[in-house]
Amino acid sequence: MTANIRNFCIIAHVDHGKSTLADRLLQLTGTISDREMTEQVLDAMDLEREKGVTIKASAVRMLYTAQDAVEYELNLIDTPGHVDFGYEVSRALYACEGAILVVDATQGIEAQTLANLYSALEADLEIIPVINKIDLPSAAPDEVAEDIVSLLGGSLDEIIHVSAKEGKNIQAVLEAIVREVPAPKVDAEAPMRALVFDSHYDSYKGVIAYVRMIEGILRPAQTVRMMATRVDVKPVEIGIFTPGQKPVQSLAAGEVGYIATGLKTVQDCRVGDTITLASAPAAEPLPGYRTPKPMVFAGIYPAEADDYGDLRDALEKLQLNDASLSYEPETSQALGFGFRAGFLGLFHMEIIQERLEREYDLDMVFTAPTVEYEVVKLDGARILIDSPAELPDENEIEEIREPWMHLEIISPTDFYGPVMEIVTKRRGHFVSQEYPAPHRVQLNFEIPLSELIVDFFDDLKSRTRGYASMDYRLVEYRPDELQKLEILVNGEPVDALAAIVHKQDAYHKGQRLITRLKATIPRQLFDVAIQASSGGRVISRANVKALRKDVLAKCYGGDITRKKKLLEKQKKGKKRMKKIGNVEIPQEAFMAVLRLENE
Amino acid sequence: MDQPHSVYLHIPFCKHRCAYCDFNTFAGMEKYIPEYLQALTREIEIASLLCPERYPVHSIFFGGGTPSLLPALSLRSLLEKLYLVFEISDNAEISLEANPGTVSRASLGSLRKAGFNRLSLGVQSANPGELRLLERSHNYFDVIRSVNWARQSGFDNLSLDLIYGLPGQTLENWQVSVQRSLALAPEHLSLYALTIESGTLLGCWAAKGYIPIPDPDCAAEMYEWAAGFLEQRGYEHYEISNWAVPGFQCRHNLQYWRNLPYFGFGAGAHGCVGGVRTANESALTRYIRLMKQGAAGDYPAAPAVVERRLIDTKTEMQETMLTGLRLTEEGVSMERFRRRFGIEMREVFGEQIEKLTAVGLLEWVKDRTPDHSEVLRLTRRGHLLGNQVFIHFVE
Repeated sequence: MTANIRNFCIIAHVDHGKSTLADRLLQLTGTISDREMTEQVLDAMDLEREKGVTIKASAVRMLYTAQDAVEYELNLIDTPGHVDFGYEVSRALYACEGAILVVDATQGIEAQTLANLYSALEADLEIIPVINKIDLPSAAPDEVAEDIVSLLGGSLDEIIHVSAKEGKNIQAVLEAIVREVPAPKVDAEAPMRALVFDSHYDSYKGVIAYVRMIEGILRPAQTVRMMATRVDVKPVEIGIFTPGQKPVQSLAAGEVGYIATGLKTVQDCRVGDTITLASAPAAEPLPGYRTPKPMVFAGIYPAEADDYGDLRDALEKLQLNDASLSYEPETSQALGFGFRAGFLGLFHMEIIQERLEREYDLDMVFTAPTVEYEVVKLDGARILIDSPAELPDENEIEEIREPWMHLEIISPTDFYGPVMEIVTKRRGHFVSQEYPAPHRVQLNFEIPLSELIVDFFDDLKSRTRGYASMDYRLVEYRPDELQKLEILVNGEPVDALAAIVHKQDAYHKGQRLITRLKATIPRQLFDVAIQASSGGRVISRANVKALRKDVLAKCYGGDITRKKKLLEKQKKGKKRMKKIGNVEIPQEAFMAVLRLENE
Repeated sequence: MDQPHSVYLHIPFCKHRCAYCDFNTFAGMEKYIPEYLQALTREIEIASLLCPERYPVHSIFFGGGTPSLLPALSLRSLLEKLYLVFEISDNAEISLEANPGTVSRASLGSLRKAGFNRLSLGVQSANPGELRLLERSHNYFDVIRSVNWARQSGFDNLSLDLIYGLPGQTLENWQVSVQRSLALAPEHLSLYALTIESGTLLGCWAAKGYIPIPDPDCAAEMYEWAAGFLEQRGYEHYEISNWAVPGFQCRHNLQYWRNLPYFGFGAGAHGCVGGVRTANESALTRYIRLMKQGAAGDYPAAPAVVERRLIDTKTEMQETMLTGLRLTEEGVSMERFRRRFGIEMREVFGEQIEKLTAVGLLEWVKDRTPDHSEVLRLTRRGHLLGNQVFIHFVE
C-alpha cells in the first residue's frame, strides 16, 4: 500500500499561515472534527501560539479519499518556522517527498520562504506552491504568483490560490498532494532504518521519537537501536498520530509514526539519528546527522539564591524536551550560583527564558547573551570561551576569533539604504545582491554573530517597518581586535557585567553602559562609583549619589495597613536586587549591556 | 480598658478635589450630606451597643475631606452623640480639619462653643502660583482671616499644614511659605513632602510631562532648612513631618504613632480597637447603604466594616516599631516595649537594630524620664530615610 502514502510538509515564512492551512487540512479530511478543532492544533504550546510560530514539529496521519475514489494516507509533517531551528527543519524535510510552499498573498516571498525552499529543493522534494490569504483586501495574488513562477518555473495556473482562514479552495491542495507528491520509494527487504525527525518527552512512555520509516518494517516487541547514541531499547509502544497517539502493530517503510522508547532523556534519542533493529542492524545510518551546536550563551541565575534548586529542576525538565538546550553550573562573584546555558540562537534563548518565567514561575537574572569565542594564547594553546569572565589575561592572548555568519536579508527595495546601514554599523559587510522578485532585493552580508544577537532583528524590523526578513548561517571563525570591557562598582569588577567588544566600539559602549547603569542602579545609603574599563584604562565613570530622602510623609487617618503595603512592596523590590559588595543592583542592570545599540 | 482611646470621624466631602489628593474624598456630592450624617450617627450608636462599657476617650479628630464644609450645627450634634457614647475626658483634644475659605467668624465661633478646641488648617502654601497648581480653592488672605477669626473665637491650639517639594518650587518660595505661616504663630505645624500619586491630577500631568517631577534632593534641602528654622523658633520636632510648641503635640496623632487604640467612623475610616484593625467601606453611597441596611455583629463587625485584621503579637510589635520610630524625639522606649510585650526589644529585633545603628540610621539615647530609660529612635540623617529603616520591620 506504499503507493497510496504521501508524506509532505508545509514550508512558509513566519505568519504566512502555515498552521491555519494545516488546521483546514485536518478538518477537511475529518481527522479532527470541527468540535475538537481548537485553533492551530499542531502547536501544542501556548507560547508558540502567542509568538505565532511553531517551535516543535509534529506529525499527523490523515486519510483522504481523492477524486479518483482511492483512499490515500497523507502524513503531514510540521516544521519549525524559525531560523534558529534550521537543522530540525532539514531533518523534517528529509522525512518527506513533497512540500507545500505557502506564500502570503499580501507579503510575497520572504527570507525564510527562500531559505526553506532551498532546503526543500536540496532534499529533492516536489514543491506545491500555494498562495494564502487571498481574502485580504491588500492581497496581490497575481503578482505573488508571477514571483513564484520566476523563482520555481512552471506555469501560473499550477499555483493554488487559497484562503486558509476562510477554508477556501483547500480541497485543491489535497488533490495536488495526491497528484504531485510521489509515493515513498521503499526497499522493504533492506534492514530496518527509521529517521528521527522530532521527539518529545512523555512522563508515562518516556521519549517519543517521531519517525519516518525509510526501509524495512518494525513490530512492537522488537528491540531497536539509536545508531548515533548507541542506545538499545525495547519500545513501550509503536504507533501513529491521528493526531492523538494510536498504537499500531507495525510500522512499514514509507510510513510516518512514533516509537515510544521509554528513554528518560531526549539526549539519548536525538533528532536526525537513525533507528534500526538491534537484532538485524543496518550497516550505515542515514546521512545528515549532527549534534546541535549552541551558538548563543547566557548566564541564568536565580534572583534569590534559595531558588537555585528550582531553577536546576526547571532546566532539567526543559531539557527533557529540548535536546538543543545545554547548560552547566556556573558561579559568578556577582550573582552567586547559577548556570551557563547554550542556545541555538537568540530566539531559542527567548523561548527558554519565557518558559522558565511562565511555566516554572521563576524570577531570574539572564546575563547579556554572548557568542563562543576562540582564543589563541601566546603559547599556542587554543581555548573556547562562552563567557567574558573566562577571557584570559590580555598579556597571554595572541588573538581572539569570533563566529562570522552569512546573513541574507530580503526586503522591499525601498529599504535598501536602512538595511545597508544597520548591517555596516554593526561591523557587517556587503557581499552580493539579487533580485528574487520585482521590488524585492536579497542582500547578502557577512557579519559577526555577536552583532546579530543583540537586538538586530528588532532593529531591522523597525527600520523596515516590518517588511524585511532574515536568515543566517555560520561561515567561519575570524580573528578581530576584540577586548574585554569591564565594569567596576565601587572598585570591584562585576563579572556578570563584563562584555567582549571590538576595540573601536569599546569607548562608545563603555560610556553608554555607564550612562545606562547610572540610570538603573538606585541610590543607596552611600555614594556608588561605577567605572568602565577596557584595554587597561578607565573609559568612563559616574557616581550614583547617596540617597537623601526616602520616607512616607504622612500616615493618613490611621491607615497603617496601606503604609505597610507600600513598605512591603519596597522591601520585596530590594530583596530582588543582587548584592555586590554593599551595593544593591537591580536585575535590569545586567540586561543593560544588551540594550546598548538602541540609543 | 482604662487605657484612653481616640476617635476619628471621616468627613469625605470637598468642594473641589485638589490636584494632589488621593484621599477618600468626594467633590460635588453635597446632596448626600444629610444621609451621610445619619449613617455616621448610626455607626456611633452601633459601636456603643457593641461596647461592653463606655470607653474612655482623650482625643477626637474630625478629618477629611473638608469637615468644615458641614454646618457647625451638624458637627455639634455628631460631637454630642460621641459624648453620649464615650467617656470623654475633660481635657480631651477635639480637632477639626478645616480649609481656609470654608470657615467664617460665625462658624468658628459656633464650633469653639460646640467643644472643638483644636483647629488644623490646610494652608499648603503661601504662594499663589503653587496654590493654583495644587488646585486649592483659597488664597493666603483666606488663611490670615481664618487664623484671626479662630483666635478671636478662642482657639488657642492651631495647626497649619504645608506641602513642600512641589513641581517648580524653589527653596526661596518654600522659605517664604514657612516664614509667613510662622508669622501667624501657630502652635503646631505639619510639613508634608508632596507625593505624586497616580490617579490624581498631578499624577496625570506628571505622566504626560506637563509638570516637572520634583527632585527629591531639593525636597530634602527644603526639609532640612525648615527643620533648622523651626528649631530656632522654639518648635519641637516630634515626628518626621510634625513640629509643635512644647505641650502642643497633637495627642490624636500621637495615639497612632504610639500604636494605641482608636475608633474610626465614616466612609473609608480605619480603626484599631481590641487588637483588631478594621477598615470601613470607602465608597460614599455604598457606605450609606451598608449603614442603612446592615445589622451589626460583634464589634468591630459594624455594618460598614469591609476589612478586618486580627493583630497578633508579632505584628503588634512590628507596628509599634514602625509607627513609634516616626516619633523623632520620643522614639520607642525600651522600657515601654518591655512593659507592653513582656519581652526585650533587642530580643525581638536585635538583628535589624544592630544593622541600622551600624549604618547610622538609628540611635540609642536616654530619654527625659527620671529613670533615663533607653530609647531607640531615628538619627537626624534617618529622619529623611525613614523607609530604609521601616522596611526592616515589615514582612
